[in-house]
Amino acid sequence: MKLHHTLTRAAAFALSACLLASAAAADGKLAIKAGRVLPGPGLPELEKATIVIENGRIAAIGKDVKVPWDAVVIDAPNLVAIPGYVEAHSARGMDRPNENLDVAPFLSVRDSIDPVGFYFEDSLRWGVTTINIQQGNNCVVAGQGVIVRPVGLTVDEMIVRTPSGVKLSASPKMGFSAATQAQTLRRAFGDLRRSLEQLVAEKKEGNDRARREALYQGRDLEGENAKGKAMEGAAWKVTGLELVPRGEIDEKLVPLLALVEGKLPAFIYCGRPMDVHTALEVAKENGFLAKTTLVLSPAAYKAAGAIAAAKVPVILDGNSVYVETDPLTGEEREVFVPGELKKAGVRFALASANPTTESLWFQAAQCVGRGMTRAEAVAAVTTIPAEILGLGKQLGTLEVGKFGTVVLCSGDPLSVTSWVERVVIEGRDVYDRSKDVRIKHLLGGQAPANTQIMGASLLGDPRKVVCCEGEDPEEHAKHLEEERAKKDKGEAEDDK
Amino acid sequence: MLAIPSLLAFGIAALPSLVPGDESAATPKDLFIRAEQLHVRPGRVLERGMLWVHEGRIVAVGTDIKLPEDALLIEGKVACAGFIDSWSSFALEPNAQFDDRAGPATRAVDAVDSYVDPRHERALLAAGVTAVRLQPTVGARAGGVGAVLRVHPSKSFAETTVIADACSATAIGVSRDGRALDVFERVSAVDRVVGALADGYGYLVETNEYRHELAEWEKKIADKQKELDEGFKKAKKDREKAQTEAKDKGNEFKDKEYKEDKKPKAPRFDEEKEVYARVAGGELPLVVEVHRALEIRALLEGTKRFERLRLVLAGASEAAQCAELLAERRIPVIVWPVPMGVQRAPEYRGASLALAAELDHAGVEVLLGSGAMDPLASRDLPLLAALAVGHGLPRETALAALTTRPARVFDVADKLGTLELGRSADVLVLDGDPFAATTSVRYVLSAGELVVGEVKK
Repeated sequence: MKLHHTLTRAAAFALSACLLASAAAADGKLAIKAGRVLPGPGLPELEKATIVIENGRIAAIGKDVKVPWDAVVIDAPNLVAIPGYVEAHSARGMDRPNENLDVAPFLSVRDSIDPVGFYFEDSLRWGVTTINIQQGNNCVVAGQGVIVRPVGLTVDEMIVRTPSGVKLSASPKMGFSAATQAQTLRRAFGDLRRSLEQLVAEKKEGNDRARREALYQGRDLEGENAKGKAMEGAAWKVTGLELVPRGEIDEKLVPLLALVEGKLPAFIYCGRPMDVHTALEVAKENGFLAKTTLVLSPAAYKAAGAIAAAKVPVILDGNSVYVETDPLTGEEREVFVPGELKKAGVRFALASANPTTESLWFQAAQCVGRGMTRAEAVAAVTTIPAEILGLGKQLGTLEVGKFGTVVLCSGDPLSVTSWVERVVIEGRDVYDRSKDVRIKHLLGGQAPANTQIMGASLLGDPRKVVCCEGEDPEEHAKHLEEERAKKDKGEAEDDK
Repeated sequence: MLAIPSLLAFGIAALPSLVPGDESAATPKDLFIRAEQLHVRPGRVLERGMLWVHEGRIVAVGTDIKLPEDALLIEGKVACAGFIDSWSSFALEPNAQFDDRAGPATRAVDAVDSYVDPRHERALLAAGVTAVRLQPTVGARAGGVGAVLRVHPSKSFAETTVIADACSATAIGVSRDGRALDVFERVSAVDRVVGALADGYGYLVETNEYRHELAEWEKKIADKQKELDEGFKKAKKDREKAQTEAKDKGNEFKDKEYKEDKKPKAPRFDEEKEVYARVAGGELPLVVEVHRALEIRALLEGTKRFERLRLVLAGASEAAQCAELLAERRIPVIVWPVPMGVQRAPEYRGASLALAAELDHAGVEVLLGSGAMDPLASRDLPLLAALAVGHGLPRETALAALTTRPARVFDVADKLGTLELGRSADVLVLDGDPFAATTSVRYVLSAGELVVGEVKK
């Protein structure tokens, strides 16, 4: 695992270029003949079935499906087809999250995504095909996120939807306490409200004065006032906002207004159970509870009852097993958090942002290992995150009409011995393990051309290769060795 | 010693059922309390008193009430209202205690952890403390807006908040991070409080003036509008005439200049000033932790001009030196009868266990608080009261200091502090004098539910 991080960015470019090339070739119609198809939680398993994808969407799926004559066929009689995993919340894949500005709803993750980041490449290897990238948890109002597919050389190419929602946190940011965090969070909405009210008051006063002036001068008032839109909102509204053209509202405040109007989802991080109450209160006070998803740290599992009562979905951010220490006795207790959430009746998605595992499949497998049904565990990494992201009709299962996003595994997708062999995203064949240079290098010990192994000498790697295309790496290594010997000799002579 | 049960006595087995949201054993519809002495309120004691609690509310108090059918009977020697700790940090997030970002508008309710270890809640209830005034003060520049909450083992604090805006609080001359403040810092701390009050008062005046001016302006404009509406036909004719005239003479036509009074401007919103405006206007009491006589005097002098200010002193180690002044200004004092073993910062040097008695003797209204040093300190509240009684505070006053007085000072007298009809029942049943070391708390009702003690039918 460590080694692949030591490869330089050059390899990333090489890989992305190769991915893109294959993607272009597969546009149009694609048919996947899989040995087994697991279309999704609750749907019957199919043996030797075919999935036909046209224009990015699944056109047909079943045993006796006719393959169009002009379709590219992926013949995989030994592979298992599953829907791609959906990562409902991740702070990876960007340059760095916003942790400086406390209240910055106007920032967008879009401006900070690095399309050639290793993270996106890795996502394909783990079968993750849709990712909601959001700012980190160390924030108050961090900014807007985007939903991407982990393939493409530009951000635009990757984007499924922008913005995907606003990231907030009810957990104290560094240097804050629960009290000041809640205060700052509330103040953000208070400021919004006061600012809108002032805009309306100014507009109204201006209009009224203009009317009086016209009366005094004996003029008929010409034209109509430029029109805005009345404010919507479940909790509070500023009456008369229709007087203000929307363009006149400070654009820095617009995303918050969208939250209050229920037009943008909110993702609120809760690190401790007490934060859940703050999050739910703020969401309720400002009318976006129905559009709220809690990004829950495992430590906050005790608030499951309150979350269930508020009928808010949860993205479990972190390890699914939480070790709790009794402050008085020092006794440790293991809590299986998805189990607790299930018991309380909370709808939850799993996320792979945790220190011990790299991916969603492992989180789901752990759930099965701890006694949840396969359908429940798989739903937590496919259908539920897709629904949370508002993509329930496009993603999550392999059904006609949904995105043609398919992952082909070498065996049971929840088994450690299975690999992701191929990935198709919206009809584009984007990943093939047999052509994955990095995996080849890791497992076969073969360095791809044009790459340099950083710190190879430190690792005691005999190859120490920096070679040019077309050059034989071994010969190049020999050459380097000779150069090194010459240099050492020279230094030794200088010392004399 | 009063009964302060060891923490470890509450088994870990009790833990799961006490998590907020979990339903603990349901309290029956009717509870009936019979006590040899029933303190309805301090000074009003019913011998062989009876109290009937129906669905959590007190529906009858007296000496001759028939035991309702199916009621759970609780018997004891003494019954009184649950104790209120006037100065506690129980269940507050520890960081909130030392948060430099906190200001006057920071709210204690936001720092309350409903998921505090339930054993701590049990410990408080077992000592008879059924309500606390929470204040994230210690170490913070300003304590923000304090709250009064009930202590209940299974309800979340959102459900048990009695008042979210109970008071504003601040501290003068209190050591920070083990460093005592020098005399200049102390004097400027007094100035800071007085300055904040002046700003708040100014804001209050400005806001009121704005409201008046706005009303006046609106009236004026309405009149003007009427006048303009009526004169419009004429104005239109005049305009047309002027236009033709201008055209004839070859001049450029210009509309008459319209003038009207400018709309008054609202004062700029300031959340901190807004809180101090409420304080200066007497809506919220201001609790100031201050210890040295010098600073107390300076504070009293500086705040003299704010007539509606409801000042409350806390700690007040050397208050005995200005007891007469305090009595005259009717300023209540939350006494923290410094217990043994507490490391004494220099400001506590003048503290004495007899402070409560001395102040009471001089006619000052004394309240008792556990001092917010430790989240569990509230558990020792009855012990602190017993110490004060031991040093000369009359028993009845001590009971008032733990019940009716804090309820009045923090504006919750209609909900807490007495056993009067119609209230949600917060009742203690003890096996003796509430301030005797040999007494233990047998039963506790919080918000009408039996939370300490078991009764067999």
